Amino acid sequence: MSNALVSIVILCWNRKDDVRESLSRIRESTYKNLEIIAVDNGSTDGTQEMIESEFPEVRLLRMSSNIGIAAYNVGFAQARGKYIVILDDDSFPEKHAIERMVQRFEADPKLGVVAFDVRNYYSIDDIKIIDEAPENDGASPNESYIMSFNGAGAGVRADVFRRVGYYPEEFFLYNNELDTALRVWDAGYTIRSFPDIVGYHKHSPINRNSWRAPFFYTRNAFWVVWKNYPIRPAFRVTLELIFRCFYHSLEQRTWIYLKAMWSAFARIGQLMGKRKPVHPDIVRRLRVPVNINFTFYR
Amino acid sequence: MQDILIIRSASFQQLDKNLPEIIRRFPNCRVSLLTHEHGVEPAKKYKELDQIYVYPHKSSFHPGRRVPELNGKTFDLVIVLVANVSGAGFLNVLRFALTIRAGRYYICNLVSNIREVRPATIRKKHVLNICHTVAAGCATLITAPMAALFLLVQWKRLSRKKT
Repeated sequence: MSNALVSIVILCWNRKDDVRESLSRIRESTYKNLEIIAVDNGSTDGTQEMIESEFPEVRLLRMSSNIGIAAYNVGFAQARGKYIVILDDDSFPEKHAIERMVQRFEADPKLGVVAFDVRNYYSIDDIKIIDEAPENDGASPNESYIMSFNGAGAGVRADVFRRVGYYPEEFFLYNNELDTALRVWDAGYTIRSFPDIVGYHKHSPINRNSWRAPFFYTRNAFWVVWKNYPIRPAFRVTLELIFRCFYHSLEQRTWIYLKAMWSAFARIGQLMGKRKPVHPDIVRRLRVPVNINFTFYR
Repeated sequence: MQDILIIRSASFQQLDKNLPEIIRRFPNCRVSLLTHEHGVEPAKKYKELDQIYVYPHKSSFHPGRRVPELNGKTFDLVIVLVANVSGAGFLNVLRFALTIRAGRYYICNLVSNIREVRPATIRKKHVLNICHTVAAGCATLITAPMAALFLLVQWKRLSRKKT
């Protein structure tokens, strides 16, 4: 079995206890050739001090302020591993997950991303992990559509990630995985999920303001389309997004979607030079439920 | 023994939280799940599930996109998972739920609050949303040409520079 170096990149911001638990769980991993990089987005709750004192094996990268997902890219650029595992500060891989992930990557050179089956942390004892025989990897081979991945638990082939570019820094938060997924598929690599590769996510209510998710999901949905879609589907989906911004503003009695739409147009300068349409077939086959962006307002 | 169908219109992380609450609320039940194709393998991990039905469409749940496998089947309860507190934004799933024959319809939200929604309430909301659709359609008709013009002007600047 391969013993390739795997870099784990975890992004932290003011969740000291969750980070402590995630890093402790990572220590239980059955795969030992790990490089752990914690990128801290300017925490003020003692997260940095805790990592330094309790986890000397972790490489801590300090950001001076919260720069959102751009901080991930700092960690990705520093990673030396053949594969990179992406985690949130409140998520961690099941102890066999990284070992199985490496096996799957080594067996399939066109596998670009392994999307972990991300489950609720509080059900950790209830979830039955499926042990597949090697000839039956458990992934569904007959999917009529293709998928993105969840940034709370995913493994990425590092050279593919470098080739297609890391996360879109201008997004700040949310929908960054979809942008990356489009580029991974367009580069000729696949994104697959395996039921025996599991991650756990606490989905902490801490640091989740109610306006952030609807605002950034909606604004970034426009930007994903403008950056990556060929011109005809780009216009069609933009039209749909505009309609949905008006519709869901009325339905949910909020201005947040209109603000997000305005921001998408007003700050379009941030996308300059970044448009690179993917193959139309990728857009046709990738499952992008546009309406989901409008379900986060409480 | 009650037959329950859960429509998985939220993440598995949420279903992990919701399922024990649903079973606590309806202890004597047989639970089935309706999920998209990509959710079938993850759904097999729940020992509480009696049957998994596949939603045979790529796009979201919608009353116009039905499930032939469920034709002729009747459930005691249909439960729609909603990924927020109020259920806002899930009217399409609720309307889809009405295409499945059931005695009662429920919502289970992000924090596992389970409440009944009457078909009449869903239909009333739909009527209101027809008004919203018309208003949003008019607003889109006014906005779209300006947006299209704006994008056409910006398009070249957005395009990646050739190396």
